Amino acid sequence: MLRRLVILVPKFTIRRPLSPASPNLVNPCHGRSMASPDGNHRHPETNGEAKPPAPKKQKLSTSITDSEIQSEFSHHDASVARINNGSFGSCPQSIISAQQRWQLRFLRQPDSFYFNDLKAGILESREFIRSLINADDVSEVSIVDNATTAAAVVLQQIAWGFTEGRFQKGDVAVMLHYAYGAVKKSMEAYVTRAGGRVVEVQLPFPVSSKEEIITEFRRALERGKENGQRIRLAVIDHVTSMPSVVIPVKELVKICREEDVDQVFVDAAHGIGCVDVDVKEIGADFYTSNLHKWFFSPPSVAFLYCRRSAKLSDLHHPVVSHEYGNGLAIESAWIGTRDYSAQLVVPSVLEFVNRFEGGIEGIKKRNHEQVVRMGEMLAKSWGTQLGCPPDMCSSMVMIGLPWCLGITSERDTLKLRVHLRDRFAVEVPIYYRAPKEGEVDPVTGYARISHQVYNKVEDYERFRDAINKLVGDKFTCASLSA
Amino acid sequence: MAGDDPRNGGSSHGHSNHRHVAKKPKLSQSISESEIRAEFSHHAEGVARINNGSFGSCPASVQSAHRDWQLRFLRQPDEFYFNILKDGILRSRTLIKALINADDVEEVSLVDNATTAAAIVLQQVSRGFAESRFKPGDTVVMLHCAFQAVKKSIQAYVTPAGGSVIEVELPFPVSSKEEIIDAFKLGLDRGKRDGRTVRLAIIDHITSMPSVLLPVKDLVRVCREEGVERVFVDAAHAIGSVNVDVKEIGADFYVSNLHKWFFCPPSVAFLYCRKVDFSNDMHHPVVSHEYGNGLPIESAWIGTRDYSSQLVVPSAVEFVERFEGGVEGIMRWNHEEVVKMGKMLVESWGTNLGSPQEMCASMIMVGLPSRLLISSTEDASKLRSYIREHHGVEVPIHYQAPKEEGEGPRDKDGGRITGYARISHQVYNTAEDYYKFRDAVTELVEKNFTCRLIL
Repeated sequence: MLRRLVILVPKFTIRRPLSPASPNLVNPCHGRSMASPDGNHRHPETNGEAKPPAPKKQKLSTSITDSEIQSEFSHHDASVARINNGSFGSCPQSIISAQQRWQLRFLRQPDSFYFNDLKAGILESREFIRSLINADDVSEVSIVDNATTAAAVVLQQIAWGFTEGRFQKGDVAVMLHYAYGAVKKSMEAYVTRAGGRVVEVQLPFPVSSKEEIITEFRRALERGKENGQRIRLAVIDHVTSMPSVVIPVKELVKICREEDVDQVFVDAAHGIGCVDVDVKEIGADFYTSNLHKWFFSPPSVAFLYCRRSAKLSDLHHPVVSHEYGNGLAIESAWIGTRDYSAQLVVPSVLEFVNRFEGGIEGIKKRNHEQVVRMGEMLAKSWGTQLGCPPDMCSSMVMIGLPWCLGITSERDTLKLRVHLRDRFAVEVPIYYRAPKEGEVDPVTGYARISHQVYNKVEDYERFRDAINKLVGDKFTCASLSA
Repeated sequence: MAGDDPRNGGSSHGHSNHRHVAKKPKLSQSISESEIRAEFSHHAEGVARINNGSFGSCPASVQSAHRDWQLRFLRQPDEFYFNILKDGILRSRTLIKALINADDVEEVSLVDNATTAAAIVLQQVSRGFAESRFKPGDTVVMLHCAFQAVKKSIQAYVTPAGGSVIEVELPFPVSSKEEIIDAFKLGLDRGKRDGRTVRLAIIDHITSMPSVLLPVKDLVRVCREEGVERVFVDAAHAIGSVNVDVKEIGADFYVSNLHKWFFCPPSVAFLYCRKVDFSNDMHHPVVSHEYGNGLPIESAWIGTRDYSSQLVVPSAVEFVERFEGGVEGIMRWNHEEVVKMGKMLVESWGTNLGSPQEMCASMIMVGLPSRLLISSTEDASKLRSYIREHHGVEVPIHYQAPKEEGEGPRDKDGGRITGYARISHQVYNTAEDYYKFRDAVTELVEKNFTCRLIL
């Protein structure tokens, strides 16, 4: 039996939210204090204008049952332990059907659809989202394909700043070292190429407190401002992708304001349906989140929130249609003939989540609790540890893999992932963490497990057993072919 | 495979009917009429749908294949992403390469639509100005009747970067390709005034409104002769309505939508970029981790999305091959029918066609009676809605402002023809669709209806 050095991790308790009936769920993942619950998540009407009702959590006499849930996801490959909702999300059968109905409506009479149905449908979706995220005005909410597209929108206007001489060459954009690959490339394409300088925040992993993140962030801002340059943009993940950690965005946005950063863009691809999203609380200029990841929408639909300000008119969708100049939300609602059905089903998705006890809040809470429980079960079985404390996790958790598996590179993680899929029918992404000098038996591989409503304990037990089998067989990544 | 289509220009031969008489499909061996009806049975009943040009159409069997692809992704998305997606996209691109006679599949990228392709090409031009490879004031030339999205794309990417824009007015109604070529040459001259370089010319293969099939090969040749740096052909309507041979046409960039005339679901288009021995600096505006791996690879992954309409191209090819003569047979049939129906309408109303039949493909512009008093773009739009709502006919209408006093075509009543309907013919259309339109307009005229009456 393998003995290894177990690093004692302080026990973190999940701070329970207030009563389920209250919408004021204080989610420690935001780094807010327990002491003062923030204001009502759903704002009273402002300006005396009637706003459509916020989605209510219906206390149904019968919430959706287990077997109904299984039926809604019966199109999933039943042979696979699908513990990777984070990558591509999931979509229940009733939403797929709703989407197909929209698709057929267009195909039936597309001209009539375009002139009479499309705009109203998109506006309705935007209104639902506005309410969900506590934005002031629907004009602040645009619908785009995904967070990758939102990044192009935000970064393109930064590029123009350089091209038009409003920014000086060498002015800075800051991002996290763990920023999503597409965002890094977008920075290269739009910022570096236009003459800007990109500064990366070096984040520790594993990480034990949000203070570690805050410290590194401050350091990066300092590096950005040396030589007297301005920081034009900070791109901050709400929940990083790999490795997955919930970032204290509210704190970091506040620091950005103190340090005179021009604009803050929160990339919350994993935001809605996974962590609490209150865009006013968070206070960023731009905030994007995919609905197809954790909000049961079909591929693909995301929102880009842009705080009302003078800068709003500078934002454009990169695909320019005749709607150019009518505001980002209107531009994004028509970028040529395409299938907009994924954007039109948002109201149906709200209906779906409200079939669950506690609605989306209930789903988030249960996903979080269960994924932490499963993570701790795996860590215990393998003798490893979580990559961060539970209150820095959302519906995903990073768990160290036994060092004896010999994960020595990113390539190894891909090979191991394929092996787990092909040999054990377990779908789970693996992160490579380069060891620090002097580390003995370093943990270099972390699996990112997700929990969504369709998951079962058996999924994680299968993963547990697969790893234990590999360890028992003295398996190493070196034995896998290239 | 793509044959040379003289309507694309480039030949000094006469333009008379060089095509075979269109045969209706041999019912015993090819798809039957009732099968065609079944394939398009999802179309709204009671609507004479004579506007395939705007949004295209998609048969039930291709829709079914489309849904299969969508379900495949949803079933196990990781596996789909790692093992299936790339091959599927490559297969679609390879089929298209053969369809359009491109040299190399590396020249073929799949994008959502022609609007996206315009963004790609014009962003590249924008960078040319921003990075001082182009001089301020260098020109981009486009047609006055270019699609509105293209005009706006130029406004978004060229003008703010320091480029200037020349719009070339083409005559309409038009009677010969020479009129087009002459007008285009004049426009190019304006672009080159004061020693400016024309960095890009954007030419439609088939204009949208008013719709005319242009001698695109001739126009590209003129561009080369006049030292235009790059030529971008916006052929949104081309594939499935006219032969497309990108080498013959000779442009640097060529885009066409497959969801218009090639039976694909919304939406999928190809952007052809002629291979060059330097980096062509073409990038998809939505940047993913594939950035820098070439436009075809960049476009094949722009974040999590539904790529199934791009993956379903093989099924669309299967569908067209069920018709006698395949896509060539369909194109011939559509062209013959739309010309026949167009002539029927103008004869009935005493008006004229907007172009000779060799300057149209599957769409034709049909003059509307002067008595309808169509006096603005707004009138045309209101009339269109009126005809949809009260007569069950779906057809776009173009307002053609009269050039000068006294000039311009007149109808049998002696009035100026200022409105043209763009009728389309696709395989699901029947003569009844056009009779319904004929009768609707006749009725309006008889009742002394004018656009002034529509609120």
